[in-house]
Amino acid sequence: MKVKGMLVGVVAVAMAASVSACGGGGGSDSKSKTFTFANIEPEHLIPGNTNDAYGLNVETALFDTLMALDASGKPVPQDAASVESPDQKVWTIKIKPGLTFHNGEPVTAQSFADAWNATADATNGWGNNYYLSTIEGYDDLNPESGKPKTHTLKGLKVVDPQTLQVTLKQPFSQLPYVLAFIGTAPMPKAAFTDLKAYEQKPIGNGPFMMDGSWEHNRQIKTKKYDGYKGPRPAKSAGVVFKTYASRDAAYTDLRAGNVDFDTQIPAAKVPEAKRFLGDRFLSVPSGTMDFLEFPLYDPAFKNPDLRKAISMAIDRQAIVNAVYNGTFKPTGSLLAPIVPGYRATACGEACTYNPQAAKQLFDKAGGFKGTMHLMFSNADPTYEQWMTDVANQLKQNLGISNITFDKVQASDYIGRLIDHKGTGPYRSNWTMDYPSPEDYLTPRCSKPSRSGYDGTACEALIMKANAAKTPQEAQQYYQQAEDLVLKDMPLTPLWNWQDQAGHSSHIGGVHADPYVTTLVHLDQVTVK
Amino acid sequence: MSETTEVAATAQTGAVVSGASASLWGDAWRDLCRRVTFWVAVVILAFMGLLAAFPSLFTSAGPNGGCDVRQAKLRPKSWNPFAGGDHPFGTDTHGCDYWAQIVHGTRAPIIVGLLVTGIALVLAITLGSLSGYYGRLLDALLSRITDVFFGLPLLLGALVILTAFPSHGVLTESFVLGLLWWPTMTRLMRGQVLSVRDADYVQAARLLGARDPRIVVRHILPNAVAPVFVYGMLNVGVVIGYEATLDYLGVGLQYPTVSWGLQLSQAQEIFTDFPYLLIYPALFLTATVLSFLLLGDAVRDALDPKLR
Amino acid sequence: MVPVLIGTTLLIYLAVFALPGDPIRALGGDKPMPPAVYASLRHHYHLDQPLIVQYGHYLWGLVHGDFGETLNGQSVGDVMKTDWAVTARLGVTAWIFELVVGIALGVWAGRRKGGVVDTLVLSGTTLVIAVPTFVLAYCAQLIFGLKLGWFPTAGTDDGWPYSYLLPGIVLGSASLAYIARLTRTSLVENFRADYVRTAVAKGLTRRRVLVRHTLRNSLIPVVTYLGVDLGHLMAGAIVIEGIFNLPGIGGQIFTAIQIKDGPTVVGIATLLVLVYLFANLVVDLLYGVLDPRIRYE
Repeated sequence: MKVKGMLVGVVAVAMAASVSACGGGGGSDSKSKTFTFANIEPEHLIPGNTNDAYGLNVETALFDTLMALDASGKPVPQDAASVESPDQKVWTIKIKPGLTFHNGEPVTAQSFADAWNATADATNGWGNNYYLSTIEGYDDLNPESGKPKTHTLKGLKVVDPQTLQVTLKQPFSQLPYVLAFIGTAPMPKAAFTDLKAYEQKPIGNGPFMMDGSWEHNRQIKTKKYDGYKGPRPAKSAGVVFKTYASRDAAYTDLRAGNVDFDTQIPAAKVPEAKRFLGDRFLSVPSGTMDFLEFPLYDPAFKNPDLRKAISMAIDRQAIVNAVYNGTFKPTGSLLAPIVPGYRATACGEACTYNPQAAKQLFDKAGGFKGTMHLMFSNADPTYEQWMTDVANQLKQNLGISNITFDKVQASDYIGRLIDHKGTGPYRSNWTMDYPSPEDYLTPRCSKPSRSGYDGTACEALIMKANAAKTPQEAQQYYQQAEDLVLKDMPLTPLWNWQDQAGHSSHIGGVHADPYVTTLVHLDQVTVK
Repeated sequence: MSETTEVAATAQTGAVVSGASASLWGDAWRDLCRRVTFWVAVVILAFMGLLAAFPSLFTSAGPNGGCDVRQAKLRPKSWNPFAGGDHPFGTDTHGCDYWAQIVHGTRAPIIVGLLVTGIALVLAITLGSLSGYYGRLLDALLSRITDVFFGLPLLLGALVILTAFPSHGVLTESFVLGLLWWPTMTRLMRGQVLSVRDADYVQAARLLGARDPRIVVRHILPNAVAPVFVYGMLNVGVVIGYEATLDYLGVGLQYPTVSWGLQLSQAQEIFTDFPYLLIYPALFLTATVLSFLLLGDAVRDALDPKLR
Repeated sequence: MVPVLIGTTLLIYLAVFALPGDPIRALGGDKPMPPAVYASLRHHYHLDQPLIVQYGHYLWGLVHGDFGETLNGQSVGDVMKTDWAVTARLGVTAWIFELVVGIALGVWAGRRKGGVVDTLVLSGTTLVIAVPTFVLAYCAQLIFGLKLGWFPTAGTDDGWPYSYLLPGIVLGSASLAYIARLTRTSLVENFRADYVRTAVAKGLTRRRVLVRHTLRNSLIPVVTYLGVDLGHLMAGAIVIEGIFNLPGIGGQIFTAIQIKDGPTVVGIATLLVLVYLFANLVVDLLYGVLDPRIRYE
């Protein structure tokens, strides 16, 4: 017995000692003026390859773009001195002199050209590839079949170190908005010698620089870049992006006082958060929206009256109250409220809850036979929750008795929709790339459309808007396009997300801004 | 590797009985009737069985019926459910009457538990007997296969398969879980058959000219099956718990099926503010699982002559 | 052992790669992915080749110690290296807790069979087994973490062992229940044995009998159980790591399954299987040490 006991004891202690020896924990630095920001593990940290919010959060600190968005969502020059075009097709971008990357390399037109060429090149397979699809020469880098024969965009011309000339395939008045998107940030020459190593320790041109490498699933430490000459210098000594496995875990730490910022408080925790944060709780309107989209390639959904009836049978406010604690806002427009040109009444009666009218329209359209499948992905448990409420409402208000769910694996979901394998009305979502109606309307109208909608007419209107000489004229055309889509209703808007954020009492200088990914300007945050 | 459960440890030495099989089971039944835990378990399970089989006796609403989202998350008026009022257990996150949902949520976990155990038992008894009795190649092959399944943590296997499976009905889930669950029981059965195979009475039967199937069915099975049967009873409870975990992870059952596991999964985000959403299904689930465990315990103790 | 390893990993590989789902297209999220980009990524991960060729690539890489690349381009080996330590610490905490407390409870209950302690232990352990682990975890986090503040609620900030205590205890609780019951039952059985009667007749104190004779024999079923237990711990880790925000391989594999990141799933699963087989090997050897009736060549 003694031998056995000793054996067990020795093994246990040895294992314990060995595992505790490797790596250590460690909170954030409290002596210097750094603060912590709750994040989830990013997928990538190269701007051209980042389209997840968590990677974008970090890049907002590390990189500066040519343009930035002001408090009303309009693009204003940041690293650019000016961005101009006589015809919305050929743009001349002048870059401010004297700006440097974190390794001292100067920020030049070539830095932008290098980054954009790499992003547009299909060989790299980067996620933000299609943002550059408006630039001439894009199709050569993204051939239908075979490998690209060239790796630079024809439409990009470095005139001199401070001047970049961009020629587009067609007039596109919204280009300055795209230039404000972090995915278009410049990259230093040092990046291209070893991209894999670069991604672990990105060298950017923003007010913060990497302090150490990317510590996967733990944190990403940044410190103030002292050589920063751009327009938004950091007011703190650095920001540490603490990585959490889930939003719930991040919120638990915020409650415990272990993290300074949480911009993703789960809806379920909001009542409690409001209580304990008081005026340190922020609700920031977001550009993200949920829709219920219909598979128009399925003959059962061909009748627009049926689609309108379903839209009118859904009590959006009640669902938002039950599932999202009233934090989201029901909407009747295809655009988010923070987008210029938004009209709250765009959809009107077709998006307003009216069970009696819905039933009448439903009967007029001939009802629905058989089983209705509601489709959504398993990426978030709230999708199933509100789909359940939608199902219950369709049952009660329209009398559709057979409703089942198709809960699709997240990795499979988009693929199925693109392949037109939607089995019934499905959840559709849009996160804003830039605050322009074009960003929201193009995916609905361009071909091939996911829902099978023929958007020829509205695409023509969008083209007119893209070529418009004044923002007002553009807005008019965009609104006409939106009206057209809402009339046909291949999809119905449900609600607009609001981001729920909270911060600790150790930091100041917090101003909410819906146009920046991190919801607050990290460079303006001060540490008490 | 030898058997890993205490059931096997005790039953292996205690289950070999010669002669009429009635004496062991008869004695066991009398012993059972004297145990309080047995009756407690039986009463609870009978109640759950009623809920599962005849839900309309207990509530007028259908599954997911009469749900009004505007009435979501109404707390129950008091902890005493008989105090009257529309919603004795309050309403859930979709505005459905929670008592009705819990009643309807009884059927799915119990069916999954029974089906999975049933499938595993059938596989185990068949394969375990064949493997233990005939030995050699069949036994070696089966042992290797069960080894492979043993090397794979059950939850992992269930996660991978269920995540990719398009349908999430009770039958699909039971089928997948049953496929993953059979190794332990088969091992157990095989071990039992092995210990009984060389007993005197089996030799005698063989000498008297009895053929293999008769030997296996009439002599080996009745004496070997007791601990496997007990393990099966305990197992129903374990499967029900597992099913709840799979629902929690989001790969188990889904609408329009109603189950306690789904209710727990919905409650976990907000239970700090609405603890009743977690407590009621947890109570029912625990009571059911507990009853199966107590039942299995009682039967095992009753069957074990050494613990008298 | 080797055929089992190959069999299990092949099974997992087939399950992950043969089942439907396209992880590449999902990388683009809601934004369009041009066909050329899609083709390029598929080629990079060998997904445009037949399944058997893919498996061949994977095995070839394994031989070189390369577990492949995750969907984000990181090395699976690197991912596992950093996360493995967390899960190992969690597992060891759970294991020590369940062993020490489980055996102690089992002995205590077994010595006073039929008494109050025995009934309490039996009913307590049955109750713990009956409640699903994730329910226990949430309640523990709420009561002992948030309300009472005895333990950190989540994360690894407090390092070893403080951050791992509560999650480890919850993780080990079900196994503790089994171990306590196993110990108790087998102790009770052994007390009836002839050699115990002889020892008591010879005049040895009950305590000496317990410690020198019965305990060692009673622990045999426990030791055998420990091999299987590791499997339970690894599976339970998936749930516990999520709830307590511990960045271990349990949470990693769960996410990887959801997004169908094949290399990560297979890599971590292979590692788990290896650990499991190794632990059972150790158990078999210990078994031989404990029970002199069993000797291996």
